Amino acid sequence: MNQEKTLLAKLKTYLIFAGPTIFAFFTVMILPFLYGIYLTFTDWDGISATHAFVGFSNYLQAFKDKVFWTSFLLTLKYVFFTVILINVIAFFLAYVLTSGLKGQNFFRAGFFTPNLIGGVLLGFIWQFIFSEILVYFGKSYNVPIFSNFWLSDPDKAFWALVIVTVWQYTGYMMVIYIAGLVNIPRDLLEAASIDGANSYQRLKNVILPLMVPSFTISVFLTLQRGFMVYDINLALTNGGPYKSTELISLHIYNTAFLHQQYSTGQAKAIFLFFVVATVTLLQVYFSKKLEVEN
Amino acid sequence: MKRKILSIMLTFALVFSLMAGCGTKSSNNGESNSTATATKTVKITLLNSKAESQAQLEEVAKIFIKENPNIIVEVIPTAADQTPFEKVISMYAAGNAPTMAMIDPGEVSKFKDKFLDLSSEKWVSDAIDGALNAATVDGKVIAFPFAVEGYGLIYNKAVLDKAFGGNFDPSSIRTRDALEEAFKKVEATGVKAIAIPPMDWSLGGHFLPIAYTAQSKDPAQVAQFLSDLKAGKVDLANNKVFNGLMDTFDMMKKYNIDKDDPLSATYERGPQLIGKGEVGFWFMGNWAWPQIKEFDTANEQYGFIPVPISNNPDDYGNSGIPVGATKFIGIDKTQNSAEQQDAAKKFLDWLVYSSTGQDMLVNKLNIIPAFKNITLQPQNPLAKSILQYVKSGNTLEFMTTLPPDHWPNVGASMQKYLAGKIDRKTLIDEIENYWKNVQ
Repeated sequence: MNQEKTLLAKLKTYLIFAGPTIFAFFTVMILPFLYGIYLTFTDWDGISATHAFVGFSNYLQAFKDKVFWTSFLLTLKYVFFTVILINVIAFFLAYVLTSGLKGQNFFRAGFFTPNLIGGVLLGFIWQFIFSEILVYFGKSYNVPIFSNFWLSDPDKAFWALVIVTVWQYTGYMMVIYIAGLVNIPRDLLEAASIDGANSYQRLKNVILPLMVPSFTISVFLTLQRGFMVYDINLALTNGGPYKSTELISLHIYNTAFLHQQYSTGQAKAIFLFFVVATVTLLQVYFSKKLEVEN
Repeated sequence: MKRKILSIMLTFALVFSLMAGCGTKSSNNGESNSTATATKTVKITLLNSKAESQAQLEEVAKIFIKENPNIIVEVIPTAADQTPFEKVISMYAAGNAPTMAMIDPGEVSKFKDKFLDLSSEKWVSDAIDGALNAATVDGKVIAFPFAVEGYGLIYNKAVLDKAFGGNFDPSSIRTRDALEEAFKKVEATGVKAIAIPPMDWSLGGHFLPIAYTAQSKDPAQVAQFLSDLKAGKVDLANNKVFNGLMDTFDMMKKYNIDKDDPLSATYERGPQLIGKGEVGFWFMGNWAWPQIKEFDTANEQYGFIPVPISNNPDDYGNSGIPVGATKFIGIDKTQNSAEQQDAAKKFLDWLVYSSTGQDMLVNKLNIIPAFKNITLQPQNPLAKSILQYVKSGNTLEFMTTLPPDHWPNVGASMQKYLAGKIDRKTLIDEIENYWKNVQ
């Protein structure tokens, strides 16, 4: 009916529908981002009225910082464990909770709830659990692993971060997997059963291939969140003990605002952006290739 | 066709309601502006970075408004997950700078083209010696010294009286051996001797800097020592003051209540331990008084003793505690009107010169004012103890203008040392390396 004929008419339609969004996206995302990139080439300290152009020295400063690389490697380790644990546990939960278990809606809600608690609050709650409850439990029942304060030991503090992250995000990913599992066509599963496939074969040959889109989105979300995690890190360990659990986002924040090296922090943040963008785009590209048409 | 007309009408209705929404807002603004000029009410804001005093400051603002009906003071808190510096610069970037910003001494010079020149204010001449050092940039005073604070080993007098079998005299402890003796006596009464707070800001921002400030009585010598550290010319391994302080630290570690897991302690636990008399000593400053008071069992009898750095009672540093102005208030001149700036000046004057203001400062905010004209005696024992040190001239310089990344970095090294993960040699390497690479 309404065939747009001229370019102008097309543009008009386009602007009516996409214009406001593009405007908002441009002003609150693109412009600050470009300005942020510009700032990494200056010596601005966040407050002074003037700033000078300094070339790449902020990037040099950032890459020479050993703590930055330690923090980056620690973040990679954190991302590795959280992505695997969250997705494996979430898939397992989703699989069990779509099998027709009694009260499964109650369990679904229960596992999802942690995701509704804000990260900072959650960090403080778990800090209390690690510092008071587990230590009390460990001391009264003589469980050596719990009788010391986890957050004062670098390794245990790292695992505490992983545990809390997994606890928070598993429910969310579980919901995505449940949606995926529910949408698998019954006829395919029935056909597999009639052909004599046992439940393991059905899982491996029918369910998993059809679940790849869910995996794509869940792994993407957990990857991205893993790299960007800040609130849990801040509230649970605040980088302690002795800066051994300072993940990359917290490190960047501290560089910019605590150590007041604003432009260096900004350079580190831009670097982080490119790492996260590369990793997640690669992940989405390769897992799209695995997807099958049903 | 009918549908199309309907949808167009709906669209217009939506657009108009949106515009109307914006319109009312702007007309509201106009209204409040016009009433403001009519009654000359000025609204000023104060960014508070002393989170522990937020409620008290709000009360102070209310009382000020009662006495000055033309001025409204709003106290803006800093969120728990935000550094005050970040809050200030984001407010500046948003074009919404606070009229008065409370900041740390080391940050003052960054605001030299934002803050109003206050050199001609009356309180400048009434400030105590040295209080304006950090507030003076290019010969101009650009910030108001809000609070004087000091730190050392806080003792619980009830515990120590019992340990010493009578009246405990804090001036009897001037050497490391005397301190250890006191620790032993306290432990003999069945109470733990000391709580060492493991926070990086305490270890790196307060404890270790004693080694800098106790280098010399002369502030110029201390500044020289720091620039030598930066140049890598200081050999900490053979520095008497540094080693003396660390020897005391080693001794303190032996009597630490959290010896088994030294990093597990939290700040919140300290006031409880010292207030309930579960330890004899706690290394902290007078800002902890409101929390200690909640657990007080010693009838408000507390005080400071210095951290001894040698066994010679006459050595510099053994008889004094670090005291200095630690919070400054600057008035913004770039985004606030002249009326707002005047109102802010009036507020600061009110704090220093009106009797209510003085009362608020000393009794409500529990602050030790940095002004000679205020004669009110603080009611809290820790402030009294600090004033005694100030009066007798036994104070060290509070190192408040160290680089901003000093305490997080050096504090982390001190935490490792406290937990026994590194030895003194590695600690020295880490401190020296920090100073060589500091920007």
